[in-house]
This record gives sequence, structure tokens and C-alpha cells, in this order.
Amino acid sequence: MIDPTYALIAIVAMGIVTFGLRALPFVMARWIRSSSRVMELGRFLPSAIMVILLIHSIRDLAERPTGGGYVAEIVCLTLVMLLQWLWRKPLLSIVSGTALYMLWLNLG
Amino acid sequence: MGYVPLAIVFGFLFVQAGGAWWLALAASLVIYAGASQFAMIPMLAAGMPVASLALAALVINMRHAFYGLSLLENRPRHFLVRWYLVFALTDETYSVITSARPRPTPNAMAALAAINQGWWVIGTLIGAGLGAQVPVSLTGLDFALAALFAILVVEQWRASRTLLPLLVALASYALCTWVLPGHALLAAVCLSVIAGLCWPSIRARLA
Repeated sequence: MIDPTYALIAIVAMGIVTFGLRALPFVMARWIRSSSRVMELGRFLPSAIMVILLIHSIRDLAERPTGGGYVAEIVCLTLVMLLQWLWRKPLLSIVSGTALYMLWLNLG
Repeated sequence: MGYVPLAIVFGFLFVQAGGAWWLALAASLVIYAGASQFAMIPMLAAGMPVASLALAALVINMRHAFYGLSLLENRPRHFLVRWYLVFALTDETYSVITSARPRPTPNAMAALAAINQGWWVIGTLIGAGLGAQVPVSLTGLDFALAALFAILVVEQWRASRTLLPLLVALASYALCTWVLPGHALLAAVCLSVIAGLCWPSIRARLA
């Protein structure tokens, strides 16, 4: 059993830290806006971060004991990206890929 | 929407680890950061000091400190709306906002953030409810998050078709997995930030 008071203090502490991180660029906005280089970074960063998050989450899934050792992950990922490229229906892409992945792991 | 399955898994695991359902809810309301909420479960169950939990949040969520950079150009005017958006700037919200064409208005961004958090909270409650009931297998449900990032990569590509951020990300992640296997995510984001900062100079020299 997790002690509620302790857990609540931990949750608030983590909340403050996370908020602080997210607020950092806004607090330093005046300094950042004077630098065109940092503003250009703001446009470069989204694509790069998305690719990193994608690879990282696939790696997380594939390398855990219950994971599919990359084969299931890559097949399902290809399905998701193909569906999204062709039909642009996020829900359809996510649900199809996830359903296939769950079937693969639980029945395979 | 992509958040629901992941939130279900979070609520489920939290209750299974011995936490009360309302604590899972509190975490999704107050912290609202997927990865660190997952990391928190085993740490809470082990009764680790609050300082180490705070440190874990700092390390895991460090990348969020860069997200605001892409939103400085058009921030919501109203004080409360602006700070709510800052508070709710998760991986998914950041991804969706920066992938949308045309760029959403400042207030639309905040509304999107609120909807995302709504889904996150609902998912947490469903998961916590399931966790308190029968043992069911949710193995693989968290693929939904990877699927979400995948469709955002597809949409970013459709919108901008620039190869450079993609190559930088792949190279950074490969390098960091090799050099700093335990902190590949944060290290790769930092490396991409450095590359992004240096790029204008390199381009100027090439031109």
C-alpha cells in the first residue's frame, strides 16, 4: 500500500519541477527573442524531437521482456505510417496499429 | 485522443502497485507528464525519498524546457490561459500544435492542451477502475503512444519535407544510445538543440 500523504507530497514536488521546466523559455522570453538563432531553433526542433520520441518509444516497447523484439514493432509501425500517409485519419491509424500489436503480443 | 490508451495503462499500473485511485487522478492533474508518471510508480511503491522523485522528474522532463521555444512567437494574451498552456505543454500537445497547418491561434492551442489533459484524466480514471477490478491483460496497449508519434512524424514530413531535422535526430539518437545508453532520450534532444543552434552558421559558410 502506498502512503497517501507521502505520495501526495511527491506528486506536488514532481508537478512543481515539471512546471518549472516547461516555463523556462517563457520566463527568459525577452532574452531569447533578441536572438534570431534561438527563434530559428524553435522551428527546427519539432521534427527532430518527434523522430527522437518515436525511436525511443519503439525501443522501449521492443526491448522489454513482453515486447516483440522489433519485428512486431516495426511491422505495426509501418502499418500506422502507411495508413496515415494514405488516409490522414489519426484515430484509424492509431487503433489499427495498436490492435494488431496487442493481438500479436497476446496471441503470438 | 492518442493519450487515452496510455493513461489507461498508467491508472491501471498505479492502482495495481497499491496506490489509491484518487492519487492517480491527482498525479494526472498536477504533474501531467506521461513518462515521469510511469517512472513514479515503482519509486513510490519502493518508498523512495521525495527528493529522488523530484530529481527523476527533472531528468525525465528536461526536454520540455525546449518546447516553449517553438511557441514564443504567438503566446495567448490572457495571463491564466498563457500559464495553463505552459503548464500543459506535454510531448503530445507540443507535437500536435507544431504539426498543425495552419498554425492554431494562441487560444486554440490552450483549448487543445485542455482537451488533451481531459482525455489524459479520463483515461487515468478508466485505468484505475480496471486496476481495482479483475486482472486483465493490457500488454501492448501502450503501443498507442508510439503510433501517435509515428503519425505526427508523417504529418511533420507532409508539412515541411525537410530532411535535415530527421537526419540530425537519427544521428543524435544513434550516437547517444551508444555513448550514454541510460540517458539516450535527453542526450539526443540536447544534441539536436546544439545542432539546430549551429546550423545557421554552417549554412552561412556553405552558401
